[in-house]
Amino acid sequence: MNSINGLPALMKREFRRLADRKIYWFMMILAPAFCFVFFADLLKQGLPVKLPIAVVDEDNTALSRQLSRSLDAIAQTEVVSRTADFSEARKAMQRGEIYGIFHIPRDFRQEVSAAGQPVISFYTNDTYLLPASLVYKDMRLQAVLANGAVQQTLLLARGQGGPQLQARLMPVSVDTHPLNNPWISYAIYLASVLMPAFVFMFAMFTATYGIGQEMKERTADEWLRLANGSVSVALLGKLLPQTAIFLVTGLLYLSVLYGYMAFPLNSGFFPMFLAMVLLVLAAQGFAVFVTGATRRNRLALSACALWGVLSFAVSGFTFPATSMPSLIQVLCYLFPVRHYYLLYVDQALNGVPLYFSWQPYVMLALFAVLPVLVLSRLKTDLSENRYLP
Amino acid sequence: MLRDIFYIFRREFYTVFRDYAVITFFVFLTLGYPLVYTYVYSCEVVREVPVAVIDNARTPLSREFLSMWDATPLVDIVAHCRDLEEAKELMNRKAVYGILEIPADFSKDINRGIQAHVSLFCNMGALLNYKALAQAASDVSLAMGKQIQVQGMDYASRIQESIKASPVTVSEVKLFNPQGGFASFIMPAVLILVIQQSLLLGVGTIAGTARDRNRYGRMIPANRHYRRPWCIVTGKACLYLLVYFVMAYWVLFIVPRMFNLTQIAGKAELMLFLFPFLLACTFFAISGSFLSKEREQPFLLFVFTSVPLMFISGISWPREGIPSYWITFSKIFPSTHGIDGFVKMNNMGATLRDVLPEYVALWILATVYFVLACVLYGFQLRKR
Repeated sequence: MNSINGLPALMKREFRRLADRKIYWFMMILAPAFCFVFFADLLKQGLPVKLPIAVVDEDNTALSRQLSRSLDAIAQTEVVSRTADFSEARKAMQRGEIYGIFHIPRDFRQEVSAAGQPVISFYTNDTYLLPASLVYKDMRLQAVLANGAVQQTLLLARGQGGPQLQARLMPVSVDTHPLNNPWISYAIYLASVLMPAFVFMFAMFTATYGIGQEMKERTADEWLRLANGSVSVALLGKLLPQTAIFLVTGLLYLSVLYGYMAFPLNSGFFPMFLAMVLLVLAAQGFAVFVTGATRRNRLALSACALWGVLSFAVSGFTFPATSMPSLIQVLCYLFPVRHYYLLYVDQALNGVPLYFSWQPYVMLALFAVLPVLVLSRLKTDLSENRYLP
Repeated sequence: MLRDIFYIFRREFYTVFRDYAVITFFVFLTLGYPLVYTYVYSCEVVREVPVAVIDNARTPLSREFLSMWDATPLVDIVAHCRDLEEAKELMNRKAVYGILEIPADFSKDINRGIQAHVSLFCNMGALLNYKALAQAASDVSLAMGKQIQVQGMDYASRIQESIKASPVTVSEVKLFNPQGGFASFIMPAVLILVIQQSLLLGVGTIAGTARDRNRYGRMIPANRHYRRPWCIVTGKACLYLLVYFVMAYWVLFIVPRMFNLTQIAGKAELMLFLFPFLLACTFFAISGSFLSKEREQPFLLFVFTSVPLMFISGISWPREGIPSYWITFSKIFPSTHGIDGFVKMNNMGATLRDVLPEYVALWILATVYFVLACVLYGFQLRKR
């Protein structure tokens, strides 16, 4: 009981340690804030617009020119060059100047009239997957419309116009409802996971580095003594001040995402706030766990770095985890950011009832209590000031 | 002078290969990380996204639509639901990522010559799932539409019919990454970044350790061979370069082959391009190592930068969507030009002449960072 009395003194000591060194300011405030500003600014458009493409018009008739004009009119693409030479366009693509080529063949107009079924081809540079898929969509639409325009002329010539024309051109149409992200904004899913993933990484680093420093500076025994020999009180005294600061950092990204950028937050504030709190606690729990398990600050930091960086891939926000190799589908549950991502999809994006999301919440909480597995080991290391380079 | 360089080179050799931390970055990280990362994305594309369907029409035509959709490689119908509520429940439990609803008068409309609408609802948690479902549905609706159009013409020959239904043939070609694969798209950038970042971490560790061990926190040992800044930088750089000639071959040539990623550049030409990249990275790492005040700090300082660097390189996010000041900022990092040039040559078959701007930029960066590293070491020497 009396060991807990040392807590205020321990926390005061920790606040002083944190304020004393620039590196902590960097990890807890400067670097996360930079990341928030960077990604908020980078992704503010949501979807990139005016992606450059080229039209290779070998036909050069009124019809072909009309096609390329209406392609330019679509917001996402911008026809930056019109040429009659395909290899010129291909070279521009290889230099990365354009993402797509829309090719209208020679004698296009004539073949259409003669029912010769000319071929419109479009090429996308899928090395740049995101812009390629956007210009693909537009060029495909344009090609379908070209078909429609030609058919329309033929049908009207036979007197089959009016309300049935639409059905004639496209008997079955698909109404797509991208739920809760009707703008199909990439910013929403990118920023919503990138920002918390940075907080996760820095919370891990700060905890691991902070404990390692005590041993390196040979102050760990003094730290433990202040906690009356109780390693859990010592850890609480060290981590609570960090938790407090990271919660502020976390609130900062929540307000950037759901306030400033006004992304969908369909379950209200509390579920995502809880997810953020648990993510910070999970980061700290994981950090203490690897510190105790590896017994070497450098290895612990390596593990944290690996976990932090791999989180960006295996959380599955860019490439769905359900399409990854089955081994990864299992291993991804060892990454707290994966659970946070699931919570974001459920709570912020889709606003499903809370009981569908109990699993990720519980998993994050489990990460937070991981340190109990290594407490006794950590105590030995701390009392011996055990620092291994 | 040459003797100084060689002495520093030899001493650096022992520093690197006696320190597990540095070996971890220089060798194990560069060996293992690309493998793990590529493995994560090795499936390349999204396939067989589980969906639920609600068929309110229950006619041969609606069943045909569904079976055509199911038959595409992108979609897997796992549940037939009675109503939208039931399907939404499945969606909430993440058993399905999309719902397709066919209205009751689907076939009636088609037969009466009215446009029929089907509704596709997608979970937007993963955009690639949405893209797969939407594209498959649109493909099926076009194919089915064409069939219906042909049936509607009760005269003329088969060929004439098909021409009337689609007077223009459309052909689409995905260049340089024919399957639109995710690993083929993201890995070239990751591989280049691995080289720059592992060097930054490794050299940072060396610098931090030197400071830890020196009583006054200095980076240069009191030794008569360490007199000229440019000798120190050259001696160190020679060793790092030697290690990274081997590691870069593994990362940029062997790993892509193991995972069958695109590799269409001429080997010699590509190496010619990569040489100034390695030079720039090495001197960049030596300059950057001055930020690392102790052995453990490189993690804290450098690890997170990989993600923003990835985004401003123009791979993850198209350059057209990046504000110009970030583009300017990105020019000071070797990785930006390295990724650009490497992707153009390795994946898009550009020649060295095509990537001349990047090539020149890398030589400039190499020079600038060499000078910067010398200046910084000069300050260190003056402190002594």
